[in-house]
Amino acid sequence: MFDCDAMRENMPLLLTESLDPVQREQTHQHIETCPICVAEWNAYKETWLILDTLPEVAVPPRVKQRFLAEVSPAMVKTNVVPFRRGRTARWLAQAAAVVVVGSSAFYAGHRVAPRTQLIPTEAQVTAIQPAAPYYSIAESRVLPAASISPQIEGRPDIQNVQFSDASPLNQQIGVSFDITSHVTVTGRPTDKSMVRLLRYVLENEDRESPSRSRAIDWVRATYAHVGNPDPEITEALANVLRNDQHQGVRIKAADTLQSLQSTMTDGTRDALVEALKNDPNPAVRIKAVEALAKLARSGVALDPDMVDTLRRKASQNDENVYVRVKAAEALSSIQPR
Amino acid sequence: MLRISLAAVALLSAMQLFGASFATSTRVVREFPIDPAGSVWIDNPFGSVDVIGGEGNMVSVTVDRVITAPDATSMKEASDNIGLSFEGDPKVRLMRTLLPPGRNARWTVAVNYVVRIPRSVNVKIGSKLAEHIRVAHVNGSVTVNGFSGTLIMEGVNGASAVNMVNGRIIYDYAQQPVSKAQVQAVNADIDIYLPPASNFSWVANTLNGDILTTFNVRLPRFSGTIFHGAIGKGGPTINTETMMGRVLVLSKGSNASQAQSMRQNSANHQPVPSDVMLQPKQIIQLPYFIGDFTSVASIADVTVGEVRGNARIETGAGEVELGAVFGQCNVTSLGGPLNLGDIMGALFAHTGAGDIIVRAARMGGQVTTDGGLIRVIVAGGPMTLRSGGGDIIVRQFAAAMDAETTSGDITLTGDPHQRTLKVTARTLQGNIILNVSPRFGADIDATILTTDPEVNELTTDFNGLTVRREQVGNKTRIHATGKINGGGERVELYAEEGDIQISSQNITPIKLATPKQ
Repeated sequence: MFDCDAMRENMPLLLTESLDPVQREQTHQHIETCPICVAEWNAYKETWLILDTLPEVAVPPRVKQRFLAEVSPAMVKTNVVPFRRGRTARWLAQAAAVVVVGSSAFYAGHRVAPRTQLIPTEAQVTAIQPAAPYYSIAESRVLPAASISPQIEGRPDIQNVQFSDASPLNQQIGVSFDITSHVTVTGRPTDKSMVRLLRYVLENEDRESPSRSRAIDWVRATYAHVGNPDPEITEALANVLRNDQHQGVRIKAADTLQSLQSTMTDGTRDALVEALKNDPNPAVRIKAVEALAKLARSGVALDPDMVDTLRRKASQNDENVYVRVKAAEALSSIQPR
Repeated sequence: MLRISLAAVALLSAMQLFGASFATSTRVVREFPIDPAGSVWIDNPFGSVDVIGGEGNMVSVTVDRVITAPDATSMKEASDNIGLSFEGDPKVRLMRTLLPPGRNARWTVAVNYVVRIPRSVNVKIGSKLAEHIRVAHVNGSVTVNGFSGTLIMEGVNGASAVNMVNGRIIYDYAQQPVSKAQVQAVNADIDIYLPPASNFSWVANTLNGDILTTFNVRLPRFSGTIFHGAIGKGGPTINTETMMGRVLVLSKGSNASQAQSMRQNSANHQPVPSDVMLQPKQIIQLPYFIGDFTSVASIADVTVGEVRGNARIETGAGEVELGAVFGQCNVTSLGGPLNLGDIMGALFAHTGAGDIIVRAARMGGQVTTDGGLIRVIVAGGPMTLRSGGGDIIVRQFAAAMDAETTSGDITLTGDPHQRTLKVTARTLQGNIILNVSPRFGADIDATILTTDPEVNELTTDFNGLTVRREQVGNKTRIHATGKINGGGERVELYAEEGDIQISSQNITPIKLATPKQ
């Protein structure tokens, strides 16, 4: 799947013969062996041909002037000499369109979670939709130079720079690099995009501990005041509780789940039960049992596995006394159903 | 006739309008042959069960099914979905109430069983919610597994094993016990009534309640929280264990007010600090306490706004919250969070598990948890902080600081008024962040041991450190040494699988209010 994603990213460049020889060979080899990518590649080629057959329509000078005035007033000059689009310009437009289609497909594929394996079908182009007006936070992207502002501001931190000039015939070059950019996303805590972003931060950050710990603190402070926070937030915290090796982070995750229990899902409750059963840190077990006790007091029906876990914890002689007491308190609140 | 029907419809509508519900009852009666040494198993989640031993070789069952529903549709749904099952053969007879999984919460059902059996038959009962479960005059073995309700064991001479969560358990022996009894509960009280001349061995265990009896107990002793004693000449063991309830063993003819606690009146019991679990439960809520405050309890929730003297609290489990302590503060808990305010004397705080928050430790002290976060806002004197797993955060320390956690981040911020401070911080899995003022001077010895040297790094805002990297087995050691701002006290930092950050910040000092005596 990872290969397919990478190869699909390469397809627009393959089409414009902008890949270096090694990548070009790899991409061709992959396409020959992967039925899904064959269909994708055929669709790209078909799109390319369709674009080639489209009639050229000259942009009226007034429309062009208004457009430029909208996007960059400073660039509007009254003494601009109009020029006719040559073959190179049309070729670039075709490449840009393919990149837009490819990027949209890549973005859409990454945005949908969980990822689903589709049954291979023959790809057909029925319509070309404009790209959604979203800013995509993606691992990698391919951009035509025309889409980048000529003003490079703020001394961006660019690393791992690579150059490519796959085909000297077409005047195209490529510059690849890693860039660390600072992005501020604003929105309401209930906005789906914000929820997804926070979920990503909680679950996927590589440089984990200080920032994940801070992220949990921030999530608690923010969502404690939101009536019904999105269940994705509690699910993300449940995943942290299940998977984080850092005990301090797990303690915070369990503690935060306790304060966000109005939107707990079955998976979240299972994570708390799992933590109560197996977490080696007694403080995590305390937070888990406190969260379950609070759930029981609120009248939520606990499933038999939870009740059984609480019962066993209450009677477990080698368990911390406070955990046992809290388990017993939770049991005293339960009304069997 | 039409008038009557209209009236009935109007009445029904009015009942529904006011939230009234309907109840219907049906009865099923069955009889089955059974072997004298056979078994009867009853599985009835909701409703009472009466099992009465007698003569003969037949099991006679009477089941009343009472359904309560707010309307006819729910009533029909309930009636169609609740079943009774009678299975087995003369060796084992199984009778069950069958309920649909994920049933509609709009209707409720109570299925009440009255089962008459030959006295020698063994009995096994499973229940969730019962008004009562009563087993009477049975010489066979009895097993009861229930969740909530009152269990009455009356004249049961066979061995018994009882496990309940909530409710109450009553054993009423018609004659002295001749078989073992194993009684376990979580929140239920256990009452046992026996003839005065009984001979048996008694084992009792409770965390929260008390162990009481009107019998003269021979050889009483505690092993941890478990009490052992002999009544009369001893004999079969009656084991009574309830976590949060109390155990009462009464000689018939006496009453509960005459009972003595085995915890407090144990002849051989000499109070020592480690036997906190033998002390009774306490719940203390005081706005202030003048003088030295002492509390020792097995389970205690202690909240005191202000202690104008020393404070000594020892608890097996519970939450401790002290607003201010004018003298020394010594808090030991086997489990539970500690929330301590402004401690003016030396502080010693330990919990077996749970977070510890200290607003101010003016004279410093020692704070330890076997698992949990430690957060100290102001440390005025030298402090030792230890966590078995969890973060350690100190917002401002003005004296030597020694912090160590098995797993977690350590964040320490030095008092900006101090030009140098001795610091030892050690985490076996996590990061260390040391924030100090730009003019802070120290001899730095910082070490990172990591399997991923590309990710874990040592960063500092100060010049003067020499960083060396060396391979130790499959790990890389990043070791930074040197003097910052001309040197000073030794600052020793050690992090495994984490970062170390020594940052120079203009820190705003935290000022503590002067207490009013």
